[in-house]
Amino acid sequence: MGELALLAALFAPFLGAVALLGVPNQEPLLVRTVAAVSAGVALLASLYLFLAYDPDRGGFQFITKWVWSEELGIAFHVGVDGIGAPLVFASAILLFAGVFISWHIRDRAREFYIFLLILAAATIGVFMSLDLFFLYFFYEMSVLPMYVLLGIWGSHTKGYLGMDDAEGRARRDSVGFLLNFGANSKEYAAMKLTLFLSAGAVFALMGILLIYHFSPVQTFDILVLREVAAFDDTLATVIWLLVFFGFASIAPIWPLHSWSPVGHAAAPAATSMLHAGVLMKLGHFSIIRVAFEILPDATRELMPIAAVLCVFSIIYGGLVAYFARDTKYVIGYSSSSHMGYVFLGMAALDYISLTGAVIYMFAHALATGMLFAMAGWVYDQTHTRDIPSLGGLVTTMPFVAGAFLIACMASVGMPGTVNFVAEIMIIVGAWERYPFQVVVAVLGIVLTMAYLFKMMRGLFYGRLSPDHAQTLDAAGWVDRLPLLVLIGCSIFFGIFPMHFYHVVRSTVVPMLDRIHQAVPLVTHGAAGLGS
Amino acid sequence: MTFNLTLSGADLLLLAPEIFLTVWLCVVLAVDCARQQIKHETLAYLSMGGVVAALIMLIGFDYADVHGALLNDTFVLDGVAIFFKIFILLATALVLLISIEYVRSFRFFRGEYYFLVVMSALGMMFMASAQDLLSVFVTLEFSTFGFYVLVAYLREDRKSNEAGLKFFILGVFAAGLLAYGISLVYGETGTLVFSEMTGMPGSYGLAIGFIMIFAALGFKLGAVPFHSWIPDTYQGAPTPVTAFLSIAPKGAAMAILIRMFYVALATFKPMWVLLFVVASIVSMTYGNIVAIAQKNIKRLLAYSGIAQIGNVMIGLAAGTKRGTDAILFYLLTYLFANLGAFAVVVGVSRRIHSDEIEDYNGLNRRSPFLAAAMLLFLLSLAGVPPLAGFIGKLYIFVAAIQQELYTLLIVGLVNIVISMYYYLIVVKKMYINEPADPTPLTVSTPLKTAIVISIAGTLLLGLYPGPFINWAVDAGLMFSNAATMAGDVSVPIAPAGG
Repeated sequence: MGELALLAALFAPFLGAVALLGVPNQEPLLVRTVAAVSAGVALLASLYLFLAYDPDRGGFQFITKWVWSEELGIAFHVGVDGIGAPLVFASAILLFAGVFISWHIRDRAREFYIFLLILAAATIGVFMSLDLFFLYFFYEMSVLPMYVLLGIWGSHTKGYLGMDDAEGRARRDSVGFLLNFGANSKEYAAMKLTLFLSAGAVFALMGILLIYHFSPVQTFDILVLREVAAFDDTLATVIWLLVFFGFASIAPIWPLHSWSPVGHAAAPAATSMLHAGVLMKLGHFSIIRVAFEILPDATRELMPIAAVLCVFSIIYGGLVAYFARDTKYVIGYSSSSHMGYVFLGMAALDYISLTGAVIYMFAHALATGMLFAMAGWVYDQTHTRDIPSLGGLVTTMPFVAGAFLIACMASVGMPGTVNFVAEIMIIVGAWERYPFQVVVAVLGIVLTMAYLFKMMRGLFYGRLSPDHAQTLDAAGWVDRLPLLVLIGCSIFFGIFPMHFYHVVRSTVVPMLDRIHQAVPLVTHGAAGLGS
Repeated sequence: MTFNLTLSGADLLLLAPEIFLTVWLCVVLAVDCARQQIKHETLAYLSMGGVVAALIMLIGFDYADVHGALLNDTFVLDGVAIFFKIFILLATALVLLISIEYVRSFRFFRGEYYFLVVMSALGMMFMASAQDLLSVFVTLEFSTFGFYVLVAYLREDRKSNEAGLKFFILGVFAAGLLAYGISLVYGETGTLVFSEMTGMPGSYGLAIGFIMIFAALGFKLGAVPFHSWIPDTYQGAPTPVTAFLSIAPKGAAMAILIRMFYVALATFKPMWVLLFVVASIVSMTYGNIVAIAQKNIKRLLAYSGIAQIGNVMIGLAAGTKRGTDAILFYLLTYLFANLGAFAVVVGVSRRIHSDEIEDYNGLNRRSPFLAAAMLLFLLSLAGVPPLAGFIGKLYIFVAAIQQELYTLLIVGLVNIVISMYYYLIVVKKMYINEPADPTPLTVSTPLKTAIVISIAGTLLLGLYPGPFINWAVDAGLMFSNAATMAGDVSVPIAPAGG
């Protein structure tokens, strides 16, 4: 049953995408129904996975393994542990919400949903891969749909909106647009995102190939590799750096972050949600899966790099978010800033902080998903993302304003939301090892409050511009459902976090024991290998 | 040295596909001459019937393990030969499908077109079996003759004439190099057969001779620095011919290269590995960087082809059994993606009469099928999962890392990112830009069939490559000795299952 649920969570969106190929664009309701049904199946299956995961047993559960190529040592090997299960759940929630958020897309809706479903399915695939080949396979597969999603259904920043004449179009189309850092077109954002992530991915691939080549058996299987792989120090350092920076570019850690806010800003609402909500977590997750599992010693030695860089992420992202004038830039930079917290939780290599980091990934997915959903709603209604030209929207869209307030509270980490649980765990867990970083992180929370409430005030309070007097609230059930689902999950797990905590903890404890060499290497993971 | 040129009945079996195709070709030509009013489509399907029959015959040979050598070892039928013959015939069948709509626009010589295509294929089938230098020369020229005519087929188009002339001059030049190289090698070793050259002492004459032969084959492959004819010829030639030229001769030339270096020159492996490392790095980088600036889709695919050959040569640089396995598999993935992309180009150019990338603007609105197909083929060429090209690239990289060719690997990986840029620019034109003229495009049935087959191949090789990888591994079994001799260490493979 669990195995079936796992495969359903992975393949339902893929099958939905295939089914959509047969649905003509002239039947918009059918297109949306197919997408919603496949997303719903994935959501239910992943909810089951999350609830049925047995924290007492720990290890990898619901494992399916099919040999894919004996010659190369590749198997389609999937299963979830206490880290994968909640993230699969988060992806499915965001996909489900994203399908409804995009309900009003008119231009080529069928293609939109196909690419959205492939994107979500690929991220779900990464979270359940137990084979390095398939981890990379799904990882790279999740990047490419972003290009099309941003390029077709995305939006330009203010400077580019006017470029609809021949000259403007030519400028947007020229090869040189890659170097145009002034105003960002969606084409620029899409290309930058794809090239950055592909470049990061090939570095990670180099690391994966080195692991494959230098391990005693030729296999991509993570469960085998983590038992048998042993590298000398130099090699382990090289591999670790390749894997860490390769995957951290999607996370995105500070010097490699520049594609991310640009990409967030250009993307349509549902894509931003998936992008900020789960795509960025692929980075942290892959680092945990590859570096923490296969290279425990190098992780212990080198993880302080993350502790240093996360400070820059938190402060830099927060400050830019405070001064940004574009709603999506504010949320985008806030996301990069918040990902610094996850790195802090991981860097401390502490049971509590790492558990907190995983819960934070889930929490951030929900909170940032809500923010992007509502920024998207505001953009759809007003056709601008420029904060100074907005204001007073609370009178025309009270529901959205209320939901936005809750999203801000969740993002700040107010008690009662799951973000609070996560943040407090990261702060408590990391305090002993990195007190300076913790102080920065707490200041970062203050900064978060400042920029989010500044944006809140700019959007919803003050004087309503007469241009925006005719804007609509999210009134129909399709518009309210995704927001309510996200808010509901955030609050539910904020009040009842214990199952979640046990699930994550069951995986984190043996992993950190290995890293701290508290136990001999071979005793763990036997549960996963046996079945 | 004595030559034994007698053939027994059992020997004729090994030659059966070639003999059959030769007879069939004469029939096609005779039908074309005898019945002037015959529709060219009929001839196309007639030729295709012969190709498919030969294809089935070869697949049967592969299952039944029909192997052997004929005519004093000048013609061999082994796993590699069968693989490449199937490869060439598959390409030919797809090219015939692609051609049908295109040939309709020819005013003369419609029937001869199919004859020439299949004749070139026949020449390349012999190439795949060539085991000594003399038959390399003869078969190479045999296969090229058909192409000389095909490239210049559009008599009233100056570009096509220019393409034909360039192709001819450089082709003849390459033939000269080849003949000179062969004479040097013969002078040094006193033999023409690859297997008898194994273990010969090295000398300058031998080295120069083989470098000349490599250069001549490099022209066929389009590897830098022998690529200069490629863009102009690709652009000028009729598009189905370009498609054919971009895949089949590369496969045939690769068969000869593998045999020559793995068998004749096995003992000099450290030297030729260096040669291939350099050729591969230069081809990949040059092809990918110059492709960025292209405005014409055929030229873009030409440069991308140069880069792809650079990728293939990574496998040769590895110089191991796994290297050849990876090459065979990679070429198979390249076959579908590349022919598919050219099929889309044919489909678009028949309607809008242009090959400029600019005119692909908004293709998604005009023909979602063509745009989606092109998207898949380009992403497969770029090496994006779950498409075939990704598995091919990964396989090649695995072969390279086992020989610890780090420089080559890093250059190869960086080139993936560079190539993604220009492939995505085409995707951007098709999907993001708005069409200047939004009238929908229709696709003819044969072309649609070819595209659907290519899509199926691209997806199948990407999602379920196991059987095809095994096929490539089995085909190259004969090289396991040659590679071990040159110091390859076999590594245990992880046990399958639980």
